Amino acid sequence: MKQVEKLIQELNQQKLERQTRRHFLMDCVSKMGGLALAPLMFGCDLGGSKSGSSGLNLSERDLNPLAPLPPPFAGKAKSIIYLHMAGAPSQLELFDFKPELAKYHNQPCPESLLEGRKFAFIRGVPNLLGPQANFAQHGESGAWVSDFLPHFSKVVDEVAFLKAVHTDQFNHGPAQLFMQTGSPRLGRPSLGSWVTYGLGTENQNLPGFVVLTSGGKTPDAGKSVWGSGFLPSVYQGVQCRSKGDPVLYLKDPDGMSRDMKKNLVTAINDVNKEEFNAYGDPEILARINQYEMAYRMQIEVPEVMNINEEPEYIHELYGTKPGAESFANNCLLARKLVEKGVRFVQLYDWGWDTHGTDHDGSIDMGLRNKCREIDRPMSALLLDLKQRGLLEDTLVVWGGEFGRTPMQENREGKTQSFLGRDHHGDAFTMWMAGGGIKKGASYGITDDFGFSGIGEQVSVHDIHATILHLMGFDHEKFTYDFQGRPFRLTDVEGELIRKIVA
Amino acid sequence: MSSTRIYILLSTAVVLTVFGFLLFGNEKELDFSTQIKPILNKHCISCHGGVKKNGGFSVLFREEALAITESGHPAIIPGDPNNSELIKRLTESDPELRMPYDKEPLSEEEIDLLKTWIKQGANWGKHWAYEPVEEPKEVQEIFQAGISGNSGSQNPNPIDFYVEEKLEEFGLAFSPVENSNKLLRRVSLDITGLPPSDSLISLYENGKISYDEAVDYLLAQPTYGEKWASWWLDLARYADTKGYERDVSRTLWPFRDYVIKSFNKDKPFDQFTIEQLAGDLLPNPTEEQLTATAFHRNTMNNDEGGTQDEEFRVSAVLDRLNTTYEVWQSTTMACVQCHSHPYDPIRQEEFYESAAFFNNTRDEDTHDEEPRLRFYSVKEKTDIGKILNWVEEYKGEEAAKKRKDFLTFFEPKYEAHIATDFDKAELVDTKWLGIWSGGSAYLKNIDTQGSDQLLMNYRTGMDGSKITIQKDGPEGEILSQFTINKTKGEVIGAFPFKEIQGQNDLYISVFNPNAKPQQTTSIIVWFAFVPTLPGEDQNGYDSIQNSWQNILEFKGTKLPILIENPEYMKRETRVFERGNWLMLGEKVSPGVPKELNSWKSEWPKNRLGFAYWMVDQENPLTSRTLVNRVWDQLFGRGLVSTLEDMGTQSDPASHPELLDYLAWETMTSYDWSIKKLIKQIVTSKTYKQSSVVSPELFAKDPQNKWYARGPRVRLSAEQIRDQALASAELLSHKMYGPSVKPPQPEGIWQTVYNGESWKEAEGEDRYRRGVYTFIKRTSPYPSFITFDAGSREVCISRRIVTNTPLQALVTLNDPVYLEAASHLGKLMIDQNPNPSKAIAYGYEKLMLVPISEQKLKVLTSLYQESFKEFKNDSTAMNEFVLLKDMQITPELASMTVVANALMNLDEFLTKP
Repeated sequence: MKQVEKLIQELNQQKLERQTRRHFLMDCVSKMGGLALAPLMFGCDLGGSKSGSSGLNLSERDLNPLAPLPPPFAGKAKSIIYLHMAGAPSQLELFDFKPELAKYHNQPCPESLLEGRKFAFIRGVPNLLGPQANFAQHGESGAWVSDFLPHFSKVVDEVAFLKAVHTDQFNHGPAQLFMQTGSPRLGRPSLGSWVTYGLGTENQNLPGFVVLTSGGKTPDAGKSVWGSGFLPSVYQGVQCRSKGDPVLYLKDPDGMSRDMKKNLVTAINDVNKEEFNAYGDPEILARINQYEMAYRMQIEVPEVMNINEEPEYIHELYGTKPGAESFANNCLLARKLVEKGVRFVQLYDWGWDTHGTDHDGSIDMGLRNKCREIDRPMSALLLDLKQRGLLEDTLVVWGGEFGRTPMQENREGKTQSFLGRDHHGDAFTMWMAGGGIKKGASYGITDDFGFSGIGEQVSVHDIHATILHLMGFDHEKFTYDFQGRPFRLTDVEGELIRKIVA
Repeated sequence: MSSTRIYILLSTAVVLTVFGFLLFGNEKELDFSTQIKPILNKHCISCHGGVKKNGGFSVLFREEALAITESGHPAIIPGDPNNSELIKRLTESDPELRMPYDKEPLSEEEIDLLKTWIKQGANWGKHWAYEPVEEPKEVQEIFQAGISGNSGSQNPNPIDFYVEEKLEEFGLAFSPVENSNKLLRRVSLDITGLPPSDSLISLYENGKISYDEAVDYLLAQPTYGEKWASWWLDLARYADTKGYERDVSRTLWPFRDYVIKSFNKDKPFDQFTIEQLAGDLLPNPTEEQLTATAFHRNTMNNDEGGTQDEEFRVSAVLDRLNTTYEVWQSTTMACVQCHSHPYDPIRQEEFYESAAFFNNTRDEDTHDEEPRLRFYSVKEKTDIGKILNWVEEYKGEEAAKKRKDFLTFFEPKYEAHIATDFDKAELVDTKWLGIWSGGSAYLKNIDTQGSDQLLMNYRTGMDGSKITIQKDGPEGEILSQFTINKTKGEVIGAFPFKEIQGQNDLYISVFNPNAKPQQTTSIIVWFAFVPTLPGEDQNGYDSIQNSWQNILEFKGTKLPILIENPEYMKRETRVFERGNWLMLGEKVSPGVPKELNSWKSEWPKNRLGFAYWMVDQENPLTSRTLVNRVWDQLFGRGLVSTLEDMGTQSDPASHPELLDYLAWETMTSYDWSIKKLIKQIVTSKTYKQSSVVSPELFAKDPQNKWYARGPRVRLSAEQIRDQALASAELLSHKMYGPSVKPPQPEGIWQTVYNGESWKEAEGEDRYRRGVYTFIKRTSPYPSFITFDAGSREVCISRRIVTNTPLQALVTLNDPVYLEAASHLGKLMIDQNPNPSKAIAYGYEKLMLVPISEQKLKVLTSLYQESFKEFKNDSTAMNEFVLLKDMQITPELASMTVVANALMNLDEFLTKP
């Protein structure tokens, strides 16, 4: 209860702050004669709500492109936490239980499955590889989860599984881009950019779209997976780091006190106000606003990124260790960030590419270890969001960029010393929970080997359409004009997956 | 006049016009492009054109629109609107039948326009941008008659005439001329990307040189090329890494040097175009012309294991096509890969006809990015001269020419990734040929050109692998047999080869008793067939052979370039069904879209001819595109605001006659000189106006579309950095060469499967201009992307300027800017010990105008507050000021705070 009170108090405080700031800026605007001004940089269609060209008041968004906007229709989720397992986890060891596959373990793969197919590394005829984990059904929903994820097994009733997701990309870089931008080629805005472009963000002292990485590497496709493509760069993801400055250049220079920084920013803005009086360019007002936000961000970002002050039971729950760069810490941070009003938190955890070329990349040992790193924290995240009443309007998405083959990899035709699976995009598992998701649902059926979807298949575009729907957008109407045509996250495809929407 | 009233008047005008037609008949032919096409694009084309042809009806091309639809009748009958199904369906009362389906009906005016248009014959017309640029007549006439707007001016600038015409139309007028020093700062930042030098300021302030002379001076500075190169490198998608997953470094900087030098030489834009698109196809291309072709080697190269090189070769070819059309034609081709253009009259076959021009280069997405131009030393060039003379003497001119090509860019050769039919063999990391002992593979359709020698590029850690190459298969004739031993890195081995003619399949097998099962005996990169040097028994042969061997081992700078396939390696181009490169359709030959200028028979049907076509005076888009982009660089907005697109969906030109006037002049009297174009613009009254905006003016023209004030635009990422360093007198003037890595925070580079790191530059390389900063595509220089520079993965026509708190954090806290502030603070204090006077000096040094009393008050008080703190905290003071080997005083530290403030002022970050 206290938590809720605190949250409400904070929210009110934030609102007040926003209003005060707006007051100054609006004051400046009214000095200009209270004019009807056209938007400064936005001439684009936000899915129905046309911001037409005639007579729009200089809105908060003109001064701050991340100012919150209502979605075209009431969405069920207000924020998103997207957990991307970079490298692509094996669905066959985690969620897609295939007892038939076990029976054919080590048998040559039927030719019919290989005909006309291309794989990244498998050559010739590989052997089938039975599941390397033990499965059981859990919760009231009876969801199959393997013993690689004992904690997650306990929260399955919060989750809707998509078991027959497919992608046409089988290399990491292009597949990650496809999953995050709707196109395997570079140049498109990421999901997070679309959402922050459409909705802005609730807390102006924090970035609206935060990216957290773990596993020691950024995703294969590089920072383009959180790039803004042809959208203005203000909508790109901001990487918050656990080492060094949490946001680049956030820390005051050595030797400069907070007071002095305050004086500095005040002086800059005072001179800028003079300049505005002389030149009348509203861009100057926008800049004044940005400097104030930067100053406040310097306080709020380190606060939210600091997990030292969290109570012991929270550390216990997530398995967090302050100071480390870990998926667990990032899960806790994700909760803190959405609690503070961040619109989109994207986690990337690297190290899921289990080809069987070495111990870490083996499907029976390496994958089990990787699962240990995520099992407790991602389950904790759901529980923690739930106990704070945040799960209702926070959408949590989990998945990789594709799945893995039911066959043992035989890289370049060689026998391998560890068990591993090659890249495979025909059918893999993702799950969603929270904001607007039907609890305990399962959608998608795969064949006996888990090679292909045979019913209720969904594409990457369908997933995007569903996420946008939950945020309050019709994916067909949420467009941005570029190169002479309206672009969509879902290109010309995508269908809402109704069966997993509550 | 309020916008509502304008709107009412305009609507009335439309209605009256329509009534006019109905009452008085077809007095004036409707203009398809401006009156009809917009209606079709807005209401019809998303279901009836390009991608979708619902009901078998499309309004994309005239013959489609008049064709018989699924109903068995045509929807449009020219001359007969009342019987045309199109009109019936637009006016239908049953909502199931009325079009547009499930959407708002068309307005009466729109329907009337369509009726009149059908009545007049349903004629199609060309979009304005596809009409050739014509010689402007108006200006000459007006000048002869004398115009009011330019009265009093001795050399009226035609730009002002066109701008003023529009201003009057909207009830606006020119603003007064900008303060002369601010104007100098504006034009200097625009031309050189840097503030003007002290000497230029003093000459100009003292009236020793005029504004026009200052412009000439600035255009002659080498810094001009560096500034404008940033613009071109965005279009060229220049970067220092290959992109995609591994994103390792590549050598492309010689191309950047080429661009900078070309701008500084004011190389005519037509020549600049031809060199970059087809320099390799010019007769006896020079090193410079070959370097230029690296423009299209800026495409990404995928090294990720498991990726098919052919897929990414094709991807690069399509990127070249799309980029070429975007850069020179402001045309979006990407949609046409899968289907005919939804809006513009370009057919899907035409996309592949254009692609065919680019589909015959040697590069194949290989790891080494061959073919590469070798930049030889003077000594090596002399040796090569001797080798070529020798070959010419004993084998003739033709053989010498081939040898020269091979030495220049090592082509033709066969990349080992073409191997197939592996038996106990593999494509290692899907890149190189690796054969196990007892294993084999095929190289198919190989033309050795009758060579008696094989050159093989390989590496191995194993002694005694016996390689056999046979014709056709394991039973075939042995063409070559040799043993390779352990190497130090990659080597090029030369082995005797039996002379054979024509295309043959080669069967290559390896035997090595020492190899373990499944162990790769060697990594083979490529095969080339280059004859042995002639004249073995002649005097001097040994020295020639020695030089040849040395040249083969060349380790210097190699630049990826375009080289056309020889006849026997030519690829054919086919349409990709639904854009999928694995689903090949009809074969096509090189060609250009019919909607644009026609092909002249004297042009060769290759990339060179394509380049000639593009810079031909009949081409409607090249000159307009160039003018539009240069205008945008100077005004922050194009005359057509959609810089990347001038097609039928583009924003209409604000000043179409001005665009055409400048386009015509560029092609004719400026002879494609960009400097002349820039000078024409920056000496106009339009450009020189004050950028002060009144609330009234802002209300009428928020985006400064009509130019009733000067351009006031935030500086680019590079300009912000360069200006800060220049103002602090830290900027290095060193030009050219490899990219540099100025300080960036730790832990930025975390790319997978890539061992490289950001090694901070030393000495003056820390202070080079932004254009030389190393660009890693998956992890670009952080402060640059914050200020809207791109990651250069694809062509960028327009950087969208944003205003974010993260930008404030960069200029407030990035050590690069703090170091600059420390130096500036020192300069200020050295100038005058009195803080107020020092601040006034610093402000004027940066802004070129005296500081106002109020601003001085604010900054002086900042100084005093800081001084109070630093006086009592010497540790903080010493930490804060980033000056080496210098006594830090509280005065200096406090002045550094003020300098930091100055460098964060809106007026400093913005072009005045």
